[in-house]
Amino acid sequence: MMKRKPDLSPVLMLVLLVLFLVWPLFAKEAVLYFRVMGMACFYGALAFSWNLYALTGAISLGHAAFFGLGAYGSVLANHYWHISPYLSILLGGLMGAVYGFFWNITFRNLRGARFALATLASVEIPKVIIDNWDTFTFGSLGLVGIPPLPSLELGGAVLAFGKSLRAQYYFLFLFMLLIGCIHKRAITSRWGWAIRSIREDEVAAATLGVDVAGTRFQALMLSAFLTGLCGGLYVHLLGLVEPALVFSLHLSALPLVLSIFGGRYQFYGPLLGALILYPVDQFFFHSWVPVGHAALYGLVVIAALLFFPRGIGAWVQQRMKYAWN
Amino acid sequence: MLLQFLINALSLGSFYALVALGFSLIFGVTRAFNLAHGELVLLSGYLGYALSKYLHVPFLLTLPICMLCLLFVALLLHRLLRRVQEPIELNTLVITFGLALVLQNCMLLFFSANYRLIPCTGAPFELSWAQCTVTRTQAMLIALSLLATALVYILLWKTFLGKALRATIQDPEAARLAGIHVGRMSLIAFGIGGMLIGLAGPLYGRTAYLHPFGGTEATLIAIIITIFAGAGRVRSILLGGWLLGSVESLAIFTLGASWRDLVSGVLLIVLLLLTPEGWLPRQAKPSR
Repeated sequence: MMKRKPDLSPVLMLVLLVLFLVWPLFAKEAVLYFRVMGMACFYGALAFSWNLYALTGAISLGHAAFFGLGAYGSVLANHYWHISPYLSILLGGLMGAVYGFFWNITFRNLRGARFALATLASVEIPKVIIDNWDTFTFGSLGLVGIPPLPSLELGGAVLAFGKSLRAQYYFLFLFMLLIGCIHKRAITSRWGWAIRSIREDEVAAATLGVDVAGTRFQALMLSAFLTGLCGGLYVHLLGLVEPALVFSLHLSALPLVLSIFGGRYQFYGPLLGALILYPVDQFFFHSWVPVGHAALYGLVVIAALLFFPRGIGAWVQQRMKYAWN
Repeated sequence: MLLQFLINALSLGSFYALVALGFSLIFGVTRAFNLAHGELVLLSGYLGYALSKYLHVPFLLTLPICMLCLLFVALLLHRLLRRVQEPIELNTLVITFGLALVLQNCMLLFFSANYRLIPCTGAPFELSWAQCTVTRTQAMLIALSLLATALVYILLWKTFLGKALRATIQDPEAARLAGIHVGRMSLIAFGIGGMLIGLAGPLYGRTAYLHPFGGTEATLIAIIITIFAGAGRVRSILLGGWLLGSVESLAIFTLGASWRDLVSGVLLIVLLLLTPEGWLPRQAKPSR
């Protein structure tokens, strides 16, 4: 039973991959599905980025800071320098990484609940500054009319990421896949083992020769950079930005909820959470209670922590094992 | 001018102390980090708003009703948080974070995103000899906050139950060994905390605008004062409230109201960095 499992999972992954790549070709006019599945992939990518740092055992409640800085970095670079969104999104990622660097310096000695509180408070700093710096960031009104992702020409084929929702779905899917690969490496590679050892016991990890500070630093920088990328991408998908939108508690909470629900210790966990919860939220909950639909995420994280703290994936696996034995 | 500033700071600070008192009691006794604290205060505020607007209940009567309702909410929260597994602090933090999201969206659903204020009736008191005015809300804020703080102080330091509560705050294990029913103590802490939250809500609704997403700030304030003062230390909490009230009034006065959130955020980070050993009295083992 245990022997056969590693053989099966690559096949399963491949089947799923093909399924995700192929279904839009058959659904011709399912615009809503392209949009929702694309955004589900996007939030999966965001959850992956968050979990990269959470794997070291540090729960952050403030990733909206990176997200918002990435969003504003990208928008302002685009607005003032008129550079292509693809470049400005990278710049947004760098903005996130810069703030991550500050986190790394200031919050070096904080762990657990204290770290979580500090991150929660640290969202306020860029938010209030951007809110008040009217001449440069346009203050609390924000910006509208941000250009969508421009089309790319690749060997004769036009990839209209901004106009066609199907192309956008593929773009977001590949984006998620890229970050997912990084996330998988952060679990299975040698570096991933270092991360895991830090999570379990820092002192023991240091005794075994793991560079604790360095590994945490790398994980945080990577997480901050990728979250910044997500933020930059988000505003170009949405077309508008304002401080209350990109620095919201909701955006700090979302990757946490998706990761905890899907399973923080599996490489597919955050994506699983996003693929289940976001469509449920959009298709069912949103039409049922249009205003307060985000309450779903709060309910889910409470239920997850009380009943399946290792995530729905691990929970189902365990149930299956019981069922077979 | 100075006196007017002091009165404003005093009323704001007393209110902050009231908000922090409930949080610190719950945190001290049960080690549960209630990130939904501010949302519960808002919930109570909205309840007071609904009572006074739709049922025309006089303001002073809304206070006991809100206290009773929030008492039940807090007891429900106690039942929820009792099931949390180790590590308690972090897990309660995440669960109440989820609860905060739920409450925010419920308030958004029922009361919409408009700013609400419980209307204030009656003329303010003019202190003509000092050239300053005290609004009725401010007077009520100071009086009720000080009254509540004094009651909690008497309960904690002058009664036998208070001794047991303080013992639990200091060291739950040792308290259990001494024959104190720790579970019952946490129930009592949640009960008192709930009533304090219920009292703070309508007062919040009269001093500041109610908005579904405004709770985070109140939570941050409660946490800041609790870290500054230490859990369950009533006099220090009052002092911390006044200090924070003065600092925020000063910041609003010099920088403008929009920079207020920055002050609380930076203060919290600085306090967290300055107290690396934790903020519980004499912890048995340092938290990692």
